[in-house]
Amino acid sequence: MTNAISVKSLSKSFGKTQVLQKINLEFPAGAATCVIGPSGSGKSTLLRCLSFLEEPDSGTIEVFGEPLGFTEDAQGKRARIAAARLRKVRAGIGMVFQQFNLWPHMTALGNVSAALKLVRKLPRAEAEDRAMAQLTRIGLEARAGHYPSQLSGGQQQRVAIARALALEPKIMLFDEATASLDPELTGEVLAVMRGLAEDGMTMVIVTHEIGFAASIGRVIAFLDHGQVLTSGGPQEVFGKPRHPRIEQFLDTYLDRGAAMLI
Amino acid sequence: MTPNLFGLLVEAALYTVLLSAISIVIGIAIGMGVASARASSHLALAFVARVYVSFFRGVPLLVQLLVIYNLLPAVGINVPSDVAAVVGLSLCTSAYQAENLRGGFLSVPKGLLESADMLGLTPWQQLVRIRAPIAFRLTLPAVVNEAILILKASSLVSVVGVVELTRMAQDLANSTYAPIQLYSAAGLLYFLINRVVAGLGAFAERRMAWGRR
Amino acid sequence: MNFDVGLLIAKAPEILNALGVTIMAWLIGLVGACIIGFAVAVARRYGPRWLNGLLFGYVEVFRGTPFLVQLFLLYFGGPYAGLSLDALPAGLMALSVYGGAYFSEVFRLGFEGVPRGHVEAAECAGLSRGQIVARILLPEMAVLVLPASVNLAVVLLKETSVLSIITVQELTFTASAIGTEFYAFVEALFVLALGYWGLVEFAAALGRVAERRLARFAVS
Repeated sequence: MTNAISVKSLSKSFGKTQVLQKINLEFPAGAATCVIGPSGSGKSTLLRCLSFLEEPDSGTIEVFGEPLGFTEDAQGKRARIAAARLRKVRAGIGMVFQQFNLWPHMTALGNVSAALKLVRKLPRAEAEDRAMAQLTRIGLEARAGHYPSQLSGGQQQRVAIARALALEPKIMLFDEATASLDPELTGEVLAVMRGLAEDGMTMVIVTHEIGFAASIGRVIAFLDHGQVLTSGGPQEVFGKPRHPRIEQFLDTYLDRGAAMLI
Repeated sequence: MTPNLFGLLVEAALYTVLLSAISIVIGIAIGMGVASARASSHLALAFVARVYVSFFRGVPLLVQLLVIYNLLPAVGINVPSDVAAVVGLSLCTSAYQAENLRGGFLSVPKGLLESADMLGLTPWQQLVRIRAPIAFRLTLPAVVNEAILILKASSLVSVVGVVELTRMAQDLANSTYAPIQLYSAAGLLYFLINRVVAGLGAFAERRMAWGRR
Repeated sequence: MNFDVGLLIAKAPEILNALGVTIMAWLIGLVGACIIGFAVAVARRYGPRWLNGLLFGYVEVFRGTPFLVQLFLLYFGGPYAGLSLDALPAGLMALSVYGGAYFSEVFRLGFEGVPRGHVEAAECAGLSRGQIVARILLPEMAVLVLPASVNLAVVLLKETSVLSIITVQELTFTASAIGTEFYAFVEALFVLALGYWGLVEFAAALGRVAERRLARFAVS
């Protein structure tokens, strides 16, 4: 199995706080990797490094063999890759944010078709057709003409997913996609994500939904204090005997779907 | 107050609206440029923008108009008084609009730009398609307010010889010896114009509600 | 175009005198506007309904029309209604009435901005009306209205230049006169820009000091 993303020795600090410490991780292609861990463990930062919204201090990230952001030669010298090249690499990556980040002045259709018109330079009709197809795929074609303020949180997040999918990325990143949603609404978003995983999309999912992570992830990476404590299949990570830190972590999640794992 | 006189005032009022409208549009355009300069990473540019804003907000409009009207001919640039008036009004309002817009731009949530980044929009596309519309909506009340202020401030261009509403009222008052009627009528017209502008602003705000009630 | 410093020095007494007139007109106009504004805000809040309507009209009209027109109405129209004023008194009165309309809105919002709960707590504690106003309402209002008041003060300062149009011998009038008489526009501009710009920055700085001092009354 090839690796979609290869992270080597990644470090990142904000001021005096070392958030990521020499992370090494492989994200397999065609499968979902779930990154879990307590608050402050650096999971969101790791994900944002994968999309280059945060710049790592050292280490490298390769996406399907292409360096992302920086190249490092044998002596550890860093060189920034050109902006155009970065855009090309990013074009294959789609990201879904905790805060949805839909543009308020565009309808659902407008949001989903914007990048197709502006970046792919598709003519209006074709862009909107493709956008409608994406919206239909997630079941929101009836809401295409609505503004984000007229949609529920779950609907907004699903539109956000459609927006990212419209560009046909090879990798989808999810940054705590359901954390801002009321519990009743997380189900509809998780269903969409499950559908993507079953279709073979390469996904990196940062989440608090442990039960979901265990059921959908081929690889589970547990982050703690900026380091990968353990990673592997769900059986390895969650099966007993467990790493004591994971035991401790799951204790706090007993009510949130982890009970089935005990 | 004969219909004839009132008709003359109304004509002059329309000219006031025209002058103000042109100045408002130019002022917003310049203001956007100044606001961008203010936010620029070039320190010199940002400093110049700050001084520009400080000057045009600190010096009275009347002084600015007198300067443009008197100083430009002294350096050989001869402009008709109407042009001087529009230049003066535009420059003055641009400083205020720059401040309004600056606040608006800063208020655009960062996440909206990050998602644009991830989807591959270039910085220019982000500015034009995302930041500008949202910032404009946020600053709309202040922009409308400024438009009303310009309409009132336009009364000062009467001093440099432009025959707008105030000047017309002055001329008519001097020839008919009826200042109370004429200045009151002029005041009424200004008041009505401002009311209409405020109404247009409210209408625009509703149009840009993007789904909210 | 050269800069004739000698001219400025020769005319310094005149210019300083004019500056004094500007400052005096500004301060008197400011005080007048505050008094009128406060009285109107109080009357609107605690007075009979018909008065509120009347004063609402006053505020809307004087905020919705240009200051110059109001000034002309008073100075040129006044005599026809029995009110003959010299230029300076007319200017001061017009400034106060114009500023008063704006200040009344600032104070009105200040009154409304003090949380009802604070007043109710004072009432329960047995404070008299006068004590509540003096010890609770006014101090809390002061911090709320300060930024807007400083802005208005700056606006009034700049409006004093309009008085030059009815020949009040303040800074704009005097500097323009010197400029036209001696064909010295650069020098005139210099004086004017410096004068107003300086005063505005001074007022803004005073405002910041006052804001810091009053911060302890802030309604958080």
